[in-house]
Amino acid sequence: MANHSTTQTAHVQHHFVDGDQQFDTAKLGMWVFLVNEILFFGGLFMAYIVYRAWYPELFTEAALELNTFWGAVNTIVLIGSSLTVAMAIRSAQKNQTKGLKINLLITIGLAIVFMVIKGFEYSHKFHLGIFPGQFYSYEGLQHAQAPIFFSIYYMMTGIHALHVIIGIGLMMWIYVRARRGEFGSDYYTPVEMTGLYWHLVDLIWIFLFPLLYLIE
Amino acid sequence: MATAEASPSGNMKTLQVKRYKPSENPKKTYLTEEKGLWSWLTTVDHKKIGLMYLGSVTFFFLLGGALALLLRTELLTPAKTFIEADTYNQFFTLHGAIMVFFVLVPSIPAALGNFILPMQLGAKDVAFPKLNLTSFYIYVIGAVFTFIALANNGLDTGWTFYTPYSTDSTSSVIWVTLGVFILGFSSILTGTNFIATIHKMRAPGITWGKLPLNLWALYATSIIQILATPVLAITLLLLTMERVLGMGIFDASMGGDPILFQHFFWFYSHPAVYIMIVPGFGIISEVITTFSKKHIFGYWAIALSSLAIAFIGFLVWGHHMFTSGQSGVATTIFSFLTFLVGIPTGIKILNWVATLYKGSIEMKTPMIYVFIFLFLFSIGGFTGIMLGSLAADIHLHDTYYVVAHFHYVMMGGTLIALLAGIHYWWPKMTGKMYNEFQAKIGAALIFIGFNMTFLPQFIMGSQGMPRRYYNYIDQFTIFHQTSTLGSYILGVGFLLIAWYLFRSLMSGEKAPSNPWGSRGLEWQATSPPDLHNFDHTPVVIHGPYDYHKPMEEFQLGLANSHNGHGHAEDIDVEKVSAH
Amino acid sequence: MSGQNHEHHVSSAGQLWAVAAGLFILTILTVVMAKFVAIPPPFDVIVALSIALVKAFLVAAFFMNLYWDTKFNAMLLLMAVAFFILMVSITLLDMLYRVDVVPSF
Ligand code: HEM
Ligand SMILES: [Cu+2]
Repeated sequence: MANHSTTQTAHVQHHFVDGDQQFDTAKLGMWVFLVNEILFFGGLFMAYIVYRAWYPELFTEAALELNTFWGAVNTIVLIGSSLTVAMAIRSAQKNQTKGLKINLLITIGLAIVFMVIKGFEYSHKFHLGIFPGQFYSYEGLQHAQAPIFFSIYYMMTGIHALHVIIGIGLMMWIYVRARRGEFGSDYYTPVEMTGLYWHLVDLIWIFLFPLLYLIE
Repeated sequence: MATAEASPSGNMKTLQVKRYKPSENPKKTYLTEEKGLWSWLTTVDHKKIGLMYLGSVTFFFLLGGALALLLRTELLTPAKTFIEADTYNQFFTLHGAIMVFFVLVPSIPAALGNFILPMQLGAKDVAFPKLNLTSFYIYVIGAVFTFIALANNGLDTGWTFYTPYSTDSTSSVIWVTLGVFILGFSSILTGTNFIATIHKMRAPGITWGKLPLNLWALYATSIIQILATPVLAITLLLLTMERVLGMGIFDASMGGDPILFQHFFWFYSHPAVYIMIVPGFGIISEVITTFSKKHIFGYWAIALSSLAIAFIGFLVWGHHMFTSGQSGVATTIFSFLTFLVGIPTGIKILNWVATLYKGSIEMKTPMIYVFIFLFLFSIGGFTGIMLGSLAADIHLHDTYYVVAHFHYVMMGGTLIALLAGIHYWWPKMTGKMYNEFQAKIGAALIFIGFNMTFLPQFIMGSQGMPRRYYNYIDQFTIFHQTSTLGSYILGVGFLLIAWYLFRSLMSGEKAPSNPWGSRGLEWQATSPPDLHNFDHTPVVIHGPYDYHKPMEEFQLGLANSHNGHGHAEDIDVEKVSAH
Repeated sequence: MSGQNHEHHVSSAGQLWAVAAGLFILTILTVVMAKFVAIPPPFDVIVALSIALVKAFLVAAFFMNLYWDTKFNAMLLLMAVAFFILMVSITLLDMLYRVDVVPSF
């Protein structure tokens, strides 16, 4: 007969048998949710692929309007935040509440840096008149389909930025709970789930960066 | 009480089990334990959430149904009968949108599925109960958006929201698309919840091979939900942005492509027809075995064909676009792939029919609905194959033939299966029996009314009557009038059903725990069930359709709830010797 | 319940830093390849995407722990990618082959 699971704690909800089952279930649920996210962005990638196939020269010309340097910096920032969130989970697993909190704060900081850079990029474009769709009024790029490229650009980066903002909110919430000392090696499910979400946001950006900024 | 013991064999684990016979007339049930409106609105109990969905779905069905009767009434005469053409456009749009997004998509999974799924697994609840309640409220918010649209210009694009009309229409497209967008999240979260539950919350002994076919069906449905629904979400978002910002992605004058919208839309919406029908398949499998008192024929064939349908369903969406201007290459391939869907569907039908063979068939109401289902759904499926053949579809596309096809599958299939399920699980859900005689009259009215409504539509469709038209030429009068008459009979049938079900709640006989003698695990709980479904941890040693084995062997639970089982799927009870 | 109280994998700090370093280097590499090395057209995209795929693999396998996790979660990720590819490739069958609207017209 089983030695009953040692992970039985106050965090186990009544309909689970033990903490392991609860953790595995949460993780499976999270992965299923990430499948959704991938296909959600997938729709945008499809629009991108279709129009890149139709108007290859549009994409080469329009990409020149994007600032590769800041795009690359943002990539580094986001990867860095992925690292710190992974470190945060590690701290939780090792019962190091202090490390958990510090890593969460760094992650939040990096996420904000990402948003600020993104904000500068956007405002620069708005300044030039590069708006999505029918509001496009930039003189510098006269390609007839230019509005389509920038519609796709704004949709992709905009929805990605929305995910970053949601991620910042989640991380703040985790931080507050960590300060209350809720997490430790026996219970860190929410930290790990938020981490998974955050890594996905990073994953999406890993593809957005070369596809939007690095077309020569 | 008899104690039984599972003896180890190989690396199997020994479990001490004993018999738990469900008590009759339980005093404590999920309905009595927590009372009052507030306890319903804040409940995380999957059973109450299921019933709240059932209530909402019924409400929307009545709304959509009323619109349908108005539409049919307008079509009594070739010219204007009593409403304006614009109103007519609004009515058919709302009828379609409500019936698809608010009724059929959530009907079986979110309403009946929520109630039954954890019980069939022997679990106390779904994996994420709070998320479950959240998805219900998301559904409600989606509904509110749609009502705002209703009060504010309505919608006249058809439920398909095709561009370019949907970007130009002056009706409130955005409110409805946002409503459906929100609704999509409800569907996604339910699917996520079900997958996690089926994987992780099974009672000891429920291996994949003993999973009720209803759950295989819900599992396949959930997979479609999580793969397809996000694409609908992004589609609707793009459409909204197209209207707000004039993005150009779907606008030919800016170099975009309106047909791309159709690809986006049908990548969700064809799989979505399987979101609607596959759970219905699950119900049919349960009901048909219970009332044939016989093991299902071809368990694995039925289980795996659900997954096959889920997969192939993703490859055929272009059959809605044969006349759209889609490339010839795509059209030909889509036509071919469409024929493939018929295979797993046919496998199911044949296995159900084979299950009947030499069974002791009991013609209770749920079973009558199963027969209606087999008859109507087969017609719907066959006409689908006909529409899938390229040459025929060029003629039949956008005619009443298509209208008849999808009503045969959606109403004759999904809705009839839903009725079978409601009648089958009604005693379990409410603890009351309905009047069997009235129920049979109801079923007869539905069957007659349905065929009278939709058979003539095949004929006029094949003769060229286009769909979504307000007027028609005299030649079609007789068909339209028969159809309208049939729809009234249908209406009466539904009212009758609502009436006797309501009556049974008030003054129906008390239901026994297992009125049909089913071997399904959900029937080993009391009627209605306890707040936590079972007051023990059920142990399952036989498949859910082993009618040749005695009932006692289906009433086992852990003798000592602390003798530990961590993860249900590893536990395989080999054999129980009662002593 | 043998094997059930599984240990959750805990990555060492060194491992995590190594993965991040790999990601940084690949990021720089992809910029260099795009901006300073002239690769003829179809291959520039292929190179950029291959690098992105390697990066994605690193994140999924080691940051998201799929390498140590149950296979099922990895399968879910692959399934999502597979269905995305399916959606795009079938759609392209239309978008890339639209010669004339109705052939015989
Ligand atoms: C054997 C399986 C099926 C096949 C081969 C099939 C085939 C088709 C085809 C080719 C069309 C397009 C006709 C046209 O517009 O010209 C169509 C339309 C439709 N089918 Fe099916 N179908 C099948 C099953 C189903 C099921 C199970 C459902 C729903 C439960 C369904 C719902 C619909 C709907 C709603 C439409 C019309 C959509 C619209 O234009 O508004 N079909 N079907
Ligand atoms: Cu279809």
